[in-house]
Amino acid sequence: MGIPGSGLAKGLAVTLKTMTKRSVTAQYPDAQPELPPRSRGVIALFEENCTVCMLCARECPDWCIYIDSHKETVPPAAPGGRERSRNVLDRFAIDFSLCMYCGICIEVCPFDALFWSPEFEYAETDILDLTHERDKLREWMWTVPAPPALDPAAEEPKEIAAARKSAEKAAAARAAQEQDDKQDLKQDLKQDNKQDQKQDQDEGREQRPGEGDA
Amino acid sequence: MNDTLDVVLRLIAVLVVFLVLPLVVGQTEHKVMAHMQGRLGPMYAGGFHGWAQLVADGVKFAQKEDVVPADADRRVFQLAPAVALLPYLLVLIAIPVGPHGFVGQALDAGLFFVLAVMGVGVLGSLMAGWASANKFSLLGALRTAAQLMAYELPMLLAAASVAMAAGTLSLPGIVESYHWWWTLWQLVGGLVFFCAGLAELQRPPFDMPVADSEIIFGAYTEYTGLRFALFLLAEYAGIVVLCGLTTVLFLGGWHGPWAGSVGWLWTLLKTAVLAFVVIWLRVSYPRLREDQLQKLAWTVLIPLSLAQIALTGVVKVVIS
Amino acid sequence: MNPGTVLAAAAHHPGFLSPTGVEITFVLVGLATLGAALLTVTTKQLVHAALWLVVALGGLAVEYLLLTAEFIAWVQVLIYVGSVVVLLLFGLMLTKAPIGRSPDADSGNRWVAVGVAGAAAVTLVWVVVDAFRSTWINLHGAVQGTSHATGTSLFRHWVLPFEALSVLLLAALVGAIVLSRRTDGGKETE
Repeated sequence: MGIPGSGLAKGLAVTLKTMTKRSVTAQYPDAQPELPPRSRGVIALFEENCTVCMLCARECPDWCIYIDSHKETVPPAAPGGRERSRNVLDRFAIDFSLCMYCGICIEVCPFDALFWSPEFEYAETDILDLTHERDKLREWMWTVPAPPALDPAAEEPKEIAAARKSAEKAAAARAAQEQDDKQDLKQDLKQDNKQDQKQDQDEGREQRPGEGDA
Repeated sequence: MNDTLDVVLRLIAVLVVFLVLPLVVGQTEHKVMAHMQGRLGPMYAGGFHGWAQLVADGVKFAQKEDVVPADADRRVFQLAPAVALLPYLLVLIAIPVGPHGFVGQALDAGLFFVLAVMGVGVLGSLMAGWASANKFSLLGALRTAAQLMAYELPMLLAAASVAMAAGTLSLPGIVESYHWWWTLWQLVGGLVFFCAGLAELQRPPFDMPVADSEIIFGAYTEYTGLRFALFLLAEYAGIVVLCGLTTVLFLGGWHGPWAGSVGWLWTLLKTAVLAFVVIWLRVSYPRLREDQLQKLAWTVLIPLSLAQIALTGVVKVVIS
Repeated sequence: MNPGTVLAAAAHHPGFLSPTGVEITFVLVGLATLGAALLTVTTKQLVHAALWLVVALGGLAVEYLLLTAEFIAWVQVLIYVGSVVVLLLFGLMLTKAPIGRSPDADSGNRWVAVGVAGAAAVTLVWVVVDAFRSTWINLHGAVQGTSHATGTSLFRHWVLPFEALSVLLLAALVGAIVLSRRTDGGKETE
């Protein structure tokens, strides 16, 4: 325990020492805070990616996403073909007075149309003004930072892995072609065709969930 | 005519001091407390480091509605802030600042005047607590009364020790007969006096009467607007008075190098240091419990002050 | 006659006619004190009675001041206003004195009380008037009520009554300790 009253003196010393140090307060409106990566400020919409699949609106726990759309027909890709139909987004709004920032809509979006933006200064004086429309949500898209770098030992992202695989194969094929110039051309071509066809099928299977719902 | 002018000028000076120094202490508390807690405190009002924060607070208080609860005893409720504040103004008149009559009004029994009038200020809290018709206010007032009765005694005894040493009750007289070694001689008495004064002002760590986590804001719970501001002003005026009084009684007032020309500066400087200590204690220590408070007063401070009186008596007899 | 000689004449032959400012103030403060005292005993609101008591005691202190008894005045404020009334208010609040009239604030013995109070007042006035019949305090000369003068007379001429009072207070102190120690059977008290 030591000398009686040493605890009291220690308390005084702590406060006095703190007073002589620089305070840690950030003067917010004058100095912007340094937000950590993946800050959940507000939800931004990349509307070019949106296909009006309504998954976000349906998964939202408090129903704060409003989506309106209409159907348009697109002329056939090839003459004589069937007309394609396509959803066009009319309205995409999020009511931030209801939103609880759970991020389910962002997780559930299959087309990467919704993102977390670190922007947080969107207070309004009227609660009704907190329902932000697609133009505002699109504007916030510019504030979305690039995704953070992967860990050094992390697995490659699938897109990059697939692209790299095909690039490697093409390079290998080219090298093989140069090596086999002397050999029979017909046999070579047949084998290459078979390999390419198989690869196309693989890639198509991977991409199907991405495009299939359109 | 000249005498009247002199008196009026002195009273105006005291009034100015009364209105300015508490605000200075309050602003210092804002900033010191903030920096002791690693914050900045007010930064915007007035431009430079929020120097006008208390002025802004005052404007805000003046704009607020003056609410009197329906069941309250109106007259007493409205009178209470004045009763709490005015005694400190009166006390300020008697505190000497510098040598050669640099004092609002020198009184023969100045020490008794100061202690007596300071005790009256607590009546304001009692009136406020009872008249608010609120159980928390009543509890706050009860605690105030209990605290005053416990701490008035050690405070008086400690002050009496100084009066014994100086052989006079007049405050300028006490300062005049001060020698530097008195501070050591009266050290215990000074500590007791300062502690008891803090308790009487209901400053942390002795702020049970306004313990916000227990009884909201004690006797001042129902107050709004200017009347509430007056209670706050009374607290800070009380700090000024207590620190000034401790300076005069125990730290030798205007004594210091070049006391003849800048004596008043020494008094103000010592008072300011003590005010800083008051703020420092507030930041550093948690609030005592009600029974701890009473125990401290009756079992520590009163025996200490009695011992100080005995010591003073012995030394006084030995040196004379 | 110029004002100087009037003042000198008044100082030489004090009388109830042509009163000075201090005398007028004394009488006015006395009336206010009397009124406050009457209100103290007649008001039906308990806490108001205590607050009127503060006014009455404060008025008395002012009277002491006017009589140049500075020390006594401040002791009056310190002890009676600062401590006794606070104790009184503490007691009233502890018993939860209501805001507004207390119907049982009147005692059935009020007439007896009036009689006792009247008799005491008459006795006191009689004694004081008889003792100080034509004594005048010279306000312009040396102050007679300083703490120095009070201390000298208290510890030179009135030491015996002072010590007797001390014994009385000591008895009260011991009595209080005995009373608070009586509940030893149950829990131990602080």
